[in-house]
Amino acid sequence: MSYNKIVKGKTGEEKFFLGNEAIVRGALESGIDVYTYYPGTPSSEVGETFMEIFKEVGMKWVERSINEKVAIEVTGAAYARGATAMVGMKNVGLNVASDPLFALATTRPKNKNSAMVILVADDPQQHSSAVEMDSRYFLKIFKIPALEPSNPLECLEFTKEAFKISRELKLPVILRAVTMVSHARSNVVIGEIKPSEIEDAFDLSKEVNVALRLYFLELKEEHIYHRLNKALEMSETSSLNKIVNENAKNQFDLGIITSGVSYSYVCEALDFLDLEAPILKIGFINPLPERKIVEFLKQFKQIFVIEENDTFLETQILAIAQKNKLNVKIHGKDPFSYSKENTLLPMVGELNPTKVALALLKITNLKPRIDLNQINDKKYNVLARKPILCAGCPHRTTGYALQKAVKKIKSDTGKDVYFFQDIGCYTLLALSPFSFANVKYCMGSSIALAQGVAHTSGSLSIAIIGDGTFFHSGIPALLNGVYNKAPILVLILDNGWIGMTGQQPHQGSDTRYYKEGSSKIAINLEDFLHGTGAYVSTIKHYENNDEKYFPKLRKLIYEKGLDVIENRILHVIIIKDECIQKTIKRQAPAIRVIDTELCNNCGICFSKFLCPAIDSRKDFAYIDPLLCLGCGICVEICPNNAIKTEEPL
Amino acid sequence: MNIDSYTIVFTGLGGQGLIRLLQILGNALMIEGYKVMTSETHGLSQRGGKVTCFLRLGNKMHAPIPIIGTADMIIALEESTILDVLKFVKPDKTTNLIISTYEKHEIGIEYPSLEYLLEILFKNSDNIHFIPAKEIAVKFLGNLKTMNIVILGYILRFLPIKREVVEDSLNEYFSGKKLEMNLKALSEGQKL
Repeated sequence: MSYNKIVKGKTGEEKFFLGNEAIVRGALESGIDVYTYYPGTPSSEVGETFMEIFKEVGMKWVERSINEKVAIEVTGAAYARGATAMVGMKNVGLNVASDPLFALATTRPKNKNSAMVILVADDPQQHSSAVEMDSRYFLKIFKIPALEPSNPLECLEFTKEAFKISRELKLPVILRAVTMVSHARSNVVIGEIKPSEIEDAFDLSKEVNVALRLYFLELKEEHIYHRLNKALEMSETSSLNKIVNENAKNQFDLGIITSGVSYSYVCEALDFLDLEAPILKIGFINPLPERKIVEFLKQFKQIFVIEENDTFLETQILAIAQKNKLNVKIHGKDPFSYSKENTLLPMVGELNPTKVALALLKITNLKPRIDLNQINDKKYNVLARKPILCAGCPHRTTGYALQKAVKKIKSDTGKDVYFFQDIGCYTLLALSPFSFANVKYCMGSSIALAQGVAHTSGSLSIAIIGDGTFFHSGIPALLNGVYNKAPILVLILDNGWIGMTGQQPHQGSDTRYYKEGSSKIAINLEDFLHGTGAYVSTIKHYENNDEKYFPKLRKLIYEKGLDVIENRILHVIIIKDECIQKTIKRQAPAIRVIDTELCNNCGICFSKFLCPAIDSRKDFAYIDPLLCLGCGICVEICPNNAIKTEEPL
Repeated sequence: MNIDSYTIVFTGLGGQGLIRLLQILGNALMIEGYKVMTSETHGLSQRGGKVTCFLRLGNKMHAPIPIIGTADMIIALEESTILDVLKFVKPDKTTNLIISTYEKHEIGIEYPSLEYLLEILFKNSDNIHFIPAKEIAVKFLGNLKTMNIVILGYILRFLPIKREVVEDSLNEYFSGKKLEMNLKALSEGQKL
């Protein structure tokens, strides 16, 4: 499907593309050879699409790497060799990839074809992230150019531009997207796809691709005073930094500076307020075009800098105004005050056209045609719904078994039990009634966090980590724990896939069940763990139909938990139970129904086990056939045998 | 056709197929010749919680998100979720509210009563449409998953778009029996 949608089509044709799909098309039109990535919302679809089409379209290599650091290294060396290469990740992925990127950015490939783009997708409002993080200050650390598109159409254009800039400067270029750009869908005009070709001219002379103490400072000097200087000139003359509504006039002598998705919010807000104002739209966000900004600032008495999250633009624009001794009032978030009173826009959370319109009203005292504050003040009794695990999710079964096992461990030993969580769907087990989270930071941290408490406490420390996250960055922490004889219980919730970002395969996924699987070797998690010297047990759902799975899992956790407390050893339990979203793609779910004769509405299935497909209707439980995905655990936990299987509608 | 801007707000629960509906309609409107923009929600935000997405078209539309108080239509795929997006209703009460009567209850939380819902809705709009999409999907089509296409069929009367174009769009997302079923669902919605 992706091939027809993304690759087919004539130059000038319009496509209804997701921002991420437009990025793929832009890269294809730049002759991309190599793409590597680690999935992370909102960047994942770029990699998924490349994965699907790369062979047919003739690209040299695409991989879903084990983590972002590996992804950027694979792509970085391809770039050094002369490839047109791209790597993709979400904002926090850049943290993981940051170590190699510093050296990568400073070294300079000699191959004239080398070009490298780094897609970094931020998630303001943390719709699907553990933290809200603005990745833009990294641009200053790495000293590399960056472009920021404001909509899907620009995603295509800016991707092509990013490759051009990188090829010319021999610097990697960051393409910065945010959720509302990556996941916006709009009309996109396509161009011509360029074939993938790598001309082999790998230059191994020392000054080119090697960051070593002997000559790094020389390289750094050349990087900053030559390549970055050229990047600045490009930014000054680039059409990506442009003045929109140049001749617009308003009574407030007000001009606006903005970039990315905020630009679209500004346009929307100005239209709504019937206000006209020139806008300096920054598309080339690093380095900033100082001369262009000065020329713009000179024309106004008031400037409003509008950007999401951090004050990346505003801080620099304030400095530029001061350096050039310009007397202009710069409105924004006042980056030096850390005061809510001094800010026109929040430094936390996503912007939207309404927030921008309200901020413009504060500066202008205009009367809007609709009273926005009055609308915002209206409150309704909305139904508070928490994000929850899918019906049929194996993590719910694990959570419920863990809850029962821990209760017994506590009462039998008198010891406390602490939980160290990781990044994945199972993070939702941190919410009540499970509340399995004492400490949780980032990808792959749970196993080390558990060690941090276990060495100094007699309590039981349990690390909860998914299989995808374990491969991504949990392995070093586990080896550290085995080596140091850390008395912890590690639960690897092996659902077979990188569940949360769309069930992508990881290095241990069953190769039978995905398209490119035949060309991969699945790493056997159990064998690997045995090789580390850890104590390992494995339990598998749907393995033995005669034995109930739930009580077996509960008993296993209980026994190994006791073992860790009594013998101070590290124990790993691999819980193999596939992501239900993946299972139902292969087989129709066996939907369950309540036998109303037997159900006494005890609530175990809906208020203890908390299956979202089940709720209570008057005298008995009710399973919504639209939501049940047929995991069957409710049948095992129902004390009245009141749940049966029914053929799907 | 020349339209300055038209905004539809979609609301419902994660997993209800809201994004697919958004894509089918958005794609159809693009084929019809409009400039269209939608915003989608992926990843964790989809897990069972509430989902709100937007579809906008027109020459004077810039952002994937509209300003509050300016929506032309709101579609709630689950009845109670309409309460979450009422700030997008126009103060002149002209916004079309299309509400599926499908209810998803939560344990330990009282579901909004019909009296409360109606009282609030009448204050906000003169154009309220309740659609028994689930019942239609089961009774006439025998497949619950066609609920959203029944709704799509219903709203066609308000939109500047031909049925054939929507069929073309459905054709891009479904094939075989599923396509047939969804075309029937579209008709059931149109007939309402």
